[in-house]
Amino acid sequence: AETLQIVVSSSPVPSHANDKESYLWRSHTGGFGTTLESRGSCKRNQGIENQKKSERKVSSAVSNMSRRYDSRTTIFSPEGRLYQVEYAMEAIGNAGSAIGILAKDGVVLIGEKKVTSKLLQTSTSAEKMYKIDDHVACAVAGIMSDANILINTARVQAQRYTFMYQEPMPVEQLVQSLCDTKQGYTQFGGLRPFGVSFLFAGWDKNHGFQLYMSDPSGNYGGWKAAAVGANNQAAQSILKQDYKDDASREEVVELALKVLSKTMDSTSLTSEKLELAEVFLTPSGSVQYHVHSPESLTKLLVKHGVTQPAAETS
Amino acid sequence: MAMQIFEYNGSAVVAMVGKNCFAIASDRRLGVQLQTIATDFQRISKIHDRVFIGLSGLATDVQTLYQRLVFRHKLYQLREERDMKPETFASLVSAILYEKRFGPYLCQPVIAGLGEDDKPFICTMDSIGAKELAKDFVVSGTASESLYGACEAMYKPDMEAEELFETISQALLSSVDRDCLSGWGGHVYVVTPTEIKERILKGRMD
Repeated sequence: AETLQIVVSSSPVPSHANDKESYLWRSHTGGFGTTLESRGSCKRNQGIENQKKSERKVSSAVSNMSRRYDSRTTIFSPEGRLYQVEYAMEAIGNAGSAIGILAKDGVVLIGEKKVTSKLLQTSTSAEKMYKIDDHVACAVAGIMSDANILINTARVQAQRYTFMYQEPMPVEQLVQSLCDTKQGYTQFGGLRPFGVSFLFAGWDKNHGFQLYMSDPSGNYGGWKAAAVGANNQAAQSILKQDYKDDASREEVVELALKVLSKTMDSTSLTSEKLELAEVFLTPSGSVQYHVHSPESLTKLLVKHGVTQPAAETS
Repeated sequence: MAMQIFEYNGSAVVAMVGKNCFAIASDRRLGVQLQTIATDFQRISKIHDRVFIGLSGLATDVQTLYQRLVFRHKLYQLREERDMKPETFASLVSAILYEKRFGPYLCQPVIAGLGEDDKPFICTMDSIGAKELAKDFVVSGTASESLYGACEAMYKPDMEAEELFETISQALLSSVDRDCLSGWGGHVYVVTPTEIKERILKGRMD
């Protein structure tokens, strides 16, 4: 009898002996490999990989192994990580960046507006900067809807303090109180964390001007200069080199514009893509939060020579 | 001596409407029944540049209610990015008072402000939030009956700021002189679209 072999392609059928790369077995990770794995070798390989993972630094790529530990926020992974919190930080890494820098006589916050369509109704309300109380403002990076909830919470917390003590809430206490709220979402309730990082800028009479950065885990720190959002690591490294203590507000605004122009993805800076705000003391001694108008921003951009594409910044 | 809770501290507050302006005035005495404790007690407070509230009645509720209103107004300002209109503010006060319907704040507020187009607005309410809008003047406090009489007699519509100040001051001082629980001077705010003038009156210091 004749056997009929119907060849659909011109290349020969792979065989285990001849074509090791195209003849694949299912592996313990769920992917494919060239060797057949027995139960014993499966367990062994799992152990080796777990060891390797705990030695690796935090990276954005997560292997299939960890999928079973990231569906709930309220449990640790075997390596001691909270995956949901890290995924939240991933989300923020894709959002518009924001930078905050401390000056001798104030704090400057600058943000990159991601949504710039001609159709967008640019009313007086801001996208990146929000006032929390008369003496505290914040810049936001991440999921806007999550940010709105937290901003409202912060505002109410500040007012509750003022109602109780009849004086403005110290900046660190406000940041801590908000971060306690964020931490709750990483420990109980089974709800996902907030996908927002904040930069808080404020003044109080005990500690003067302060800048704080907080992230979805509920961690916060006081900074002289900080960046959140897209390209924040690049911004932080530039800030580390160029930041000077006791700079004036104008020098700090210049630094902020330069750093943002270098780290922003777009080729040129215009006032529509930015929001700039300052927290400072008026001569009479009261705290002012001032958001620059587009006209004032354009003037500043021209003055510091950053309206051209990033390659030509002075 | 029977204790009347609304007469415990003593107070007099009055507000009047003028031509594109308003005036709000109060006495300055804080007493504990017959004893005078302070002669500089503040009963009128600014909510924002165009809305003032004067609270008569029990002094502790005057202070606490004012602090609660500042809380609510600050949040309103942050969320809506504008100041509250006086009519809106009056509704807020009324709602807050009614929340405590069965254990009320023992105050009677007098609200005065400049609304849209600089039109002056005044109103008063009882301690559980019943609003009373008026076109000419509103009064509140232990001296309210005398104040009604004095204002009715002295009030004219469409007075300018200076004349309004004279009128409200005379009405206040003559009324508190007939009331032993209020007095010790007066505190008058005259508010026009361009400025807020605050004055202290010296009357019979008793």
